[in-house]
Amino acid sequence: MHPAEVVFARILDFYGIAWQYEPRTFPLEWDEQKRVTLAFTPDFYLPDQDLYIELTTLRPRLSTLKNRKMRRMAELYPDVHIKLLKRREMRDLMIKFGLYDEAEKLLGTEAQMMEEEVEDVARG
Amino acid sequence: MSVITLSRQLGSLGFEIGEEVGRRLGYAVIGRDLINQAARRAGAPEVALDMIDELGLLGVKPSAAARRAYVAAVRQVMEELAGGEHVVIIGRGGQVILHDWPGALHVRVIAPAALRAERVAQRHGIGLLAAQAQVEASDRHRQNFLRLYLQAAIEDSNFYHLILNTAYFSVEQAASLIVCAVKGCIPS
Repeated sequence: MHPAEVVFARILDFYGIAWQYEPRTFPLEWDEQKRVTLAFTPDFYLPDQDLYIELTTLRPRLSTLKNRKMRRMAELYPDVHIKLLKRREMRDLMIKFGLYDEAEKLLGTEAQMMEEEVEDVARG
Repeated sequence: MSVITLSRQLGSLGFEIGEEVGRRLGYAVIGRDLINQAARRAGAPEVALDMIDELGLLGVKPSAAARRAYVAAVRQVMEELAGGEHVVIIGRGGQVILHDWPGALHVRVIAPAALRAERVAQRHGIGLLAAQAQVEASDRHRQNFLRLYLQAAIEDSNFYHLILNTAYFSVEQAASLIVCAVKGCIPS
């Protein structure tokens, strides 16, 4: 599980919200041989709310693909509820509410993202 | 009497009191189920998360239309519950929605903010300052819900038959007072 997802799971636990991690993959596109070429696996499923949750990153390049998947989801599975959440400002809020350990993990995630971006630039 | 609504502050022990009353009277205790059911009925399950997330940690931002549909569904679900089995309904503005419901008893559970923060700090193992922030955020969230969607003030004592301050009563004592009010054993 990604560190941001770990944090999110801890918040769900804090509120006593039941959750499942990536329980289902939705096929979105197929090739001529009917093999799945694009699929979407939401990060969390909340059974009591019957709601899928997808945590988003802030990087536009990844957001474009995610937005495409969300559009296909809406077309192919209109009865499935999915909520996209941004983790921006989560860390400050968590510190304010005493969830220091969780905030630390998110800080680690941000550091990891910066490293990834440096690698992306190096790869060209 | 078949319905008790219980409005409470974070750290007031209101939920525990509601559960104790339900246990003693054999009433079903309806808390978060009401939120989830109403949100599903409104076709906007993300509103349930927004309502549960009273500390604003998740950042769920439902549309105004989704929130309005949710509140309409809350009213509908609550009236169905009150018209059916014996229930203790915790939160969600039951004291306003069912204000004129025949035989309903409306209870508010409060405690001083400092005491509530101490309880929250102890329960979650966090510092007192963080607990105070949680108490303040929760108070704001609950006040705003009533003000925005039911056009009522949560502190308006006209909505309640009983207001209990748990700085002076334990969970058991408060539950006894409510049970007594339901059974009509308070002397006139």
